[in-house]
Amino acid sequence: MSTSTRRFSLDSWAVLLALAAALLVRIGILQTVPW
Amino acid sequence: MASSVTLPQVRPTSFSGRFFGLIPGILLLLVVGYAGKFIEQSIAHYGKARHLVLPNIEYVLWAILLGLAISNTIGVPAIFRAGVATYEFWLKAGIVLLGARFLLGDVLRLGGLSLVLVFIELAVALTFMTYLGRGFKLSPKLVTLLAVGSSVCGVSAIIATQGAIDADEEDASYAIAAILALGAISLFVFPVVGHALHMSDHAYGLWTGLAVDNTAEATAAGALYSDAAGKVAVLAKTCRNALIGFVVLGYAIYWASKGQAAEVKNKGAFLWSKFPKFVLGFLLISLLATLSVFTKPQLTALGNLSRWAFLLTFAGVGLRTNLRELGKQGARPFIVGAVGEVAIALITLGLVFGADRWFHL
Repeated sequence: MSTSTRRFSLDSWAVLLALAAALLVRIGILQTVPW
Repeated sequence: MASSVTLPQVRPTSFSGRFFGLIPGILLLLVVGYAGKFIEQSIAHYGKARHLVLPNIEYVLWAILLGLAISNTIGVPAIFRAGVATYEFWLKAGIVLLGARFLLGDVLRLGGLSLVLVFIELAVALTFMTYLGRGFKLSPKLVTLLAVGSSVCGVSAIIATQGAIDADEEDASYAIAAILALGAISLFVFPVVGHALHMSDHAYGLWTGLAVDNTAEATAAGALYSDAAGKVAVLAKTCRNALIGFVVLGYAIYWASKGQAAEVKNKGAFLWSKFPKFVLGFLLISLLATLSVFTKPQLTALGNLSRWAFLLTFAGVGLRTNLRELGKQGARPFIVGAVGEVAIALITLGLVFGADRWFHL
């Protein structure tokens, strides 16, 4: 995966999205996620 | 990315154009993935209502099969391709969120064991593939790409290595096609072998994480066996992924010493650029879960978010695999890859049985 040409790699964006989702769950904005 | 061989894309140039261009494909991933889940639930309800014992085929397999059917019959229209190619993004986000379902102690225990096995697997696989490729008279750089792809982490490793050793696009395409085709086959073969050998969830998950090359396919092959096997497969595969930078750096230095690749000036920066950042995210979420930052319902919510991300991934695995395109890439790299994969699968199976005997997985 090309990381050298981008400031943020795809990996990093995926981590940021996952951490943002975890934060939303932690502060109660996302309370239940059905499966 | 994997899709460069199997799923040619048309990329708009502006940021907003690229962003909105992703939406149709992401919706297609969601529809195909959810259809897989719907089929699994419908069969279960039908069996229950009629008191029939029907085989429980997981949504994972249905999503992959539906994706394969679309990709190999009507094809994936151009409007969906950019969004479908995001399946690796969802995979990585899903792996980070999966960290919530591991206590850090389990990660260190299983991850430590996995790392030891990964080192053995790497040494054996790299050596075996190198000699096998030379025996089949493949070009030296294609041999390097196949060795890295089958020993570390599939397509991502091939792409990272291609840039580092100045390999031809054509060689990279051959290697990627071989690894993708073999990954698709392993999805169906590994669960059958696992059941035939009555492997425990942990042993099977560890085997899958060690032997299946692409992270998406390793995750899917694990989840096809059981939820617990899927978790262990992701953990073992993540350990393998974490070593990608070191292997690519080793090959970059080797080819630079032969004057056939650019010299690596800052090795630390090189390693960091190749290191998969989602491994750090996975460890961070696992640490937060271990420190009881999340309540039990919140851990369930994070686990379910991870499942939704994987659902998109599994749909993408099927949708990006075009068997006709893979077949056009030539027989010799595929044969070398196939022989190597079978050998690696058998060696890692032996390693896992040995670990199971000593550490009672």
